[in-house]
This record gives sequence, structure tokens and C-alpha cells, in this order.
Amino acid sequence: MKAKRTFYSERIYPLLFMFAVTFFCILITSGLQLATEDRATANELAFTRRAILNAGGVAFENTTEGIEEAFQSKIEEQDGYYVADSNSGKRYIIPVEGPGLWGAITIMAGFEEDLSTFSGIAIVSQNETPGLGARIEEPWFTEQFRGKQAPFTLVEEGTADAPTEVDAITGATRTSEYFKNITNRAANDAKRIIGGE
Amino acid sequence: MQNESLEVSRMASKLLRKTFMEPLGKNNPVFVQILGICSTLAVTNKLQNTMVMTLGVMFTTALSSLTISILRNYIPSRIRMMVETMVIATFVIIVDIVLKAFYPEMWKQLGPYVGLIITNCIIMGRIEAFALQNKPMLSLVDGLASGLGYAYVLLAIAFVRELLGTGSLWGFQILGSWWTNWSIMIMPPGGFFVLAIIIWIIREKIMKEAKND
Repeated sequence: MKAKRTFYSERIYPLLFMFAVTFFCILITSGLQLATEDRATANELAFTRRAILNAGGVAFENTTEGIEEAFQSKIEEQDGYYVADSNSGKRYIIPVEGPGLWGAITIMAGFEEDLSTFSGIAIVSQNETPGLGARIEEPWFTEQFRGKQAPFTLVEEGTADAPTEVDAITGATRTSEYFKNITNRAANDAKRIIGGE
Repeated sequence: MQNESLEVSRMASKLLRKTFMEPLGKNNPVFVQILGICSTLAVTNKLQNTMVMTLGVMFTTALSSLTISILRNYIPSRIRMMVETMVIATFVIIVDIVLKAFYPEMWKQLGPYVGLIITNCIIMGRIEAFALQNKPMLSLVDGLASGLGYAYVLLAIAFVRELLGTGSLWGFQILGSWWTNWSIMIMPPGGFFVLAIIIWIIREKIMKEAKND
């Protein structure tokens, strides 16, 4: 089945064919993208808000509606930070970004009214190694900051007990180091931005 | 006349069965052809992630094989790779968008790996080796079976890695506190070890015995 080679079959047809395929593919993907955009934005927003609630130690129901409701009733948005009401007074939550091993790590850091004791931290985004550095997302790691005070020192996984010590992650020394720097900076930022020092 | 058509349909179903069974066994993309190894090593440290990833690959291999097979008589052969990549990328982006909208947690965990399905050699390999020469339905079956062949090997690896590396399966703790996690299993070297051991067992034990029978 050897068709005759013509200028059309060799040059024009492939060009038109590729154009048609590209057009069609882009039509499908961009259509789908537009159709789900609202949902994706809502997910993103809920994700950030959940991080704020976690950092402020506010209890909430882990659904899109639950997050929305808790956020509206308990959190007040200020310029560059958030204020949460809790039984033990006000809590302040600020977003902090810093370098990680592979890319930026963004966290929400929550503080008690004294602006130096952590009420919690939550990860907003990170690109650390799955299974190693990405373990900073695990609850045991983020929970350990609650009630502690910066500046932190890292100790071997599972041995932290002083109020300024935190467990590093075995196998992810450099991510732990970067993360410690970010939390230390968060404490400085909180004093500077919210406390006005 | 009737015998002949019966014969034809019997042959067709035999071909269909062969197309479906080969990628699961003696022509498996992972342990025989050693394709798709990068993702085999990258996403197998947690069963859940592996499951989603392999479903994404199955969806993409099946539908891109089908699409290319439908278009096979119209694609100019000199630009066929561009067309193939375009079609594969479209299906992968569909997976990515759907995950992002409906399973945001999973989407965040898988990160760049979903996009990297595009470069999975199995998909392009099946298109080049099969879909360009065969009818749409057969290509769909071949694509799906290749995806399945990939999936079960990866799930087996993930099972071993997650269990030994974290003492849990599907995120649930299985082994008690007496268990010391083998951190190496969830790190990249663990993927190499488990993959190599699985390939060795299958090739040396199971496939050789099957051949001798």
C-alpha cells in the first residue's frame, strides 16, 4: 500500500493532521480544566484554611463545609496574619515560607498570646522526598511543636523532651534542618509582625 | 460456511485471550521487558499512592492505545510520535485534573509523578508495538492488560516496601511496636532491592519451571 508521494501528502497533510490533533486535545483538556476550576480553587482554599485551623489548635470537622464553618466562626483575618479565639485567650497564626531540600516549604505557625509558645504548626505545601523529608507532614512531627518555644535544637528521632528540643527525622537530616530554620524564623516573624517589635 | 465463521470467531477469541494474558505473564512489561522502571521505583513506597498511580497508568495505556489504533490509518508515519505523545499527554492531563478536583489530598501526595506518566515507556511502547498494527478493540485490551501487568507487580512491590518500611499497609498499622521500621525500604534503594528480588524470583523460579513443563 504505497501511496504516491506528493507535496500535499508529504508536507501539507501532516501539518494539517497535527494541527487538528493538537486543537482537539487542547479543546478537551482546557474544557475539563475550566469545568473543574471552581472545585480546584475551593479545595485549595479549604486546604489553606485547614492548615490555619490546625495551627491555631481549633477543633473542626474535617469536611469542606466543616472547615468553612469553623474558619468563619473562629478565625479573624488580619493584615498578613490570622487571629483565632480559644479558651486560653487569643492565638495568632502567621504563614511562613522558607527553602526546603527540593523546593519551598510553606507552613502556618500558630502562637499563644505570649507570641513565643507555639500553639501548633501545619504544612501548607512542600516538595520534600516522599517517605523521608515528606514525613514532616506526619502528625507526630507537626504535633511535637505544640507548647514548645523557639529557638529549637534538633535531637535524634524519638528523644526530644526539653521545651526547646524537637525530634529530627531519621534519614531526612537536611529537611529537618531546613524545617527547624523555618520554625525559628516563624517565631521571629510573629514577634515582629504581630507584636510590632 | 457456518463452520468457517465459527472457526473465525474461535480464532478471534483465542487472539483476544492471548492479547490479554501475555502482558500479565510471559510478556510482562515490568519483569520481562523491564519497562516503566522509574515509576516502579518512585511510587512504590506506599500502597495507596501505588494504587492511584497504577490506575492512572491503566487508564492512559488503555485509552491512548485505543485512540491511536482508531487513527492508525490516518496518522502520517513521520509525525506519528508527535501524535502519540500528544494523545498520551491529553489522557494524563485528564487524570491530573480529575485528581486535583476530586482527590486533592492524593494529588498533593503524588505531586509530579502523575505528570510523569507521560514518559512511562510502557504506554508509548504498546502504541508503537501494538496499537499501530491492530484493530481498536484488540488494542484497548492490550493496553488495559499491559496496565494490569504493570499494576500487579507494582502493588506487590509496594506491599513489601510499605510493610517492612513502616510496619503498616494501606496506612493502617499492621505490625506492633516490637517491629523496627526498615527505613531503607521506603527510601529509593529499597525499591531497587525489592524489584530485583521479585524479578529474580519470577524469572528464575516461576518462568523457568513454566518453560520446562
